[in-house]
Amino acid sequence: MAKRRSSFGKDTGLQARMVMTMFLLGLLYVVFIGVLFAAGAATGLIVIVAVGLLLVQLFGSDKIAMATMGVKEVSPAEEPELHGIIERLCVQADLPKPRVAVIETSMPNACAMGRSQKSTTVCATRGILELLSPAELEGVMAHELTHVINRDVMVMTLASFFATLASMIAQFALFFGGGFGGGYGRSRDEEEEIMLVLLVSVIVYAISFLLLRALSRYREFAADRGSAVLTGRPSALASALLKISGTMEQVPSQDLRRAEGMSAFFILPARTKKSLMNIFADHPPLEKRLAALERLESQLQGAA
Amino acid sequence: MGLRDILTGRHAVKGPAPDRLFAISTAYVGLQAEHQIEPAGAAAIVFQALATSDFESTLRDMEEVVRATGGDSATSVSTEDDSYGYRWMILRNPDGAPNVEDLTVGINAVAGSIESAGYGERLLCAVFAFVDRSGGGGRAPGARVYFIYNYKRGDWYPFVPDPDHPQQRLTERELQIKAQIASELPLEPELERWFPLWGIPI
Repeated sequence: MAKRRSSFGKDTGLQARMVMTMFLLGLLYVVFIGVLFAAGAATGLIVIVAVGLLLVQLFGSDKIAMATMGVKEVSPAEEPELHGIIERLCVQADLPKPRVAVIETSMPNACAMGRSQKSTTVCATRGILELLSPAELEGVMAHELTHVINRDVMVMTLASFFATLASMIAQFALFFGGGFGGGYGRSRDEEEEIMLVLLVSVIVYAISFLLLRALSRYREFAADRGSAVLTGRPSALASALLKISGTMEQVPSQDLRRAEGMSAFFILPARTKKSLMNIFADHPPLEKRLAALERLESQLQGAA
Repeated sequence: MGLRDILTGRHAVKGPAPDRLFAISTAYVGLQAEHQIEPAGAAAIVFQALATSDFESTLRDMEEVVRATGGDSATSVSTEDDSYGYRWMILRNPDGAPNVEDLTVGINAVAGSIESAGYGERLLCAVFAFVDRSGGGGRAPGARVYFIYNYKRGDWYPFVPDPDHPQQRLTERELQIKAQIASELPLEPELERWFPLWGIPI
């Protein structure tokens, strides 16, 4: 095969930040597991419960989300345009075709659900179908399909496992250990142990929360980039993001609250209010996403 | 895609698979002789047209290459953009003289120049148009049958749109064709990847 030149440069900085975040998360979790083991078997039950929750999340979250969000699967006859766009992107990305669904709400948004390439549902809201031009819609769908390719649902669910565990332990210990522990004839050693586990859990939860949010933002950048690479039209996605964000603010709040839990998998977060600090956001700020897409467009144009 | 790519969220668009485009230039003989599926004298290559000056000049060079290689056989070239933003470069044999070999050579020349310019991952598929003269299964003879070559996978599949109903395909006929020519043409084994292409302009 002829030597292929890439139309897009590499984004080593993003890769490095993502790997660094995961490394820190891993390190944090290892310390946490160490403390749990040192604290003894009392935590065993919680771990089992947490693993159970993880499995439910991995295998059931898409179904739960679909049920609560009013997601309706649509056939090619009902939505030929959307199916056509997704089919071509699937050929281009060499993916099996996901299920295609529509959410009947005027809020313009899109999301991908499911843990693997075989069990994916790609959703678009009625609002986004009406708002965007075909090229922009293609950019958004390519963004969602990149989440599928990168297995972001799986990565984020697994990455947040120990954070969930830590928060459960913190709540559990507060409830049973902290308040009235003395009355059950525990020794002072046991008291201290519970306090230690509680403290560590709270700290682990706080740090992992920030790390997870950072990871989520990096995955969004990666999906934007993947969309640009897949469609060859970074500016179409940028224009779609601008259009969506322009209308996000006028959306009735009832839809927003129902959509709250889903925001990690949406193309733009479902909340209208501006985040106080970027480190708490699970999506990068719009300006940064636009700037990254602009860099991709200039790389593409400069490929001559 | 490896674990590392999953963890870093990195993803490159696949380039073309090893070339099995030329399989059609021998398979059509059997299609014509045994199954009454005759070449319609047209083929097209479908790709994403990038809005860059480098890509545009690649396209202009490419059309000249095709005109030059098709000079003896008088193959004509035209381009068309569809509503999905993909560009179709359409090759047609002169009237009454369908020639699948010429079309295959032409399509391959286009794909080759897109690839050598470094845009191989933009190629979507090639489409060859045929006419179904057999008329079995309640269909009128003369309906279109398309053979679609997926560049990412290097596989072929038949696509038979229903002439009477828009956006519907005659899956039964496609499966019959599959059974008939599986030994001659490398077919896509996964049926869920037999993606339709609506509104084919050839």
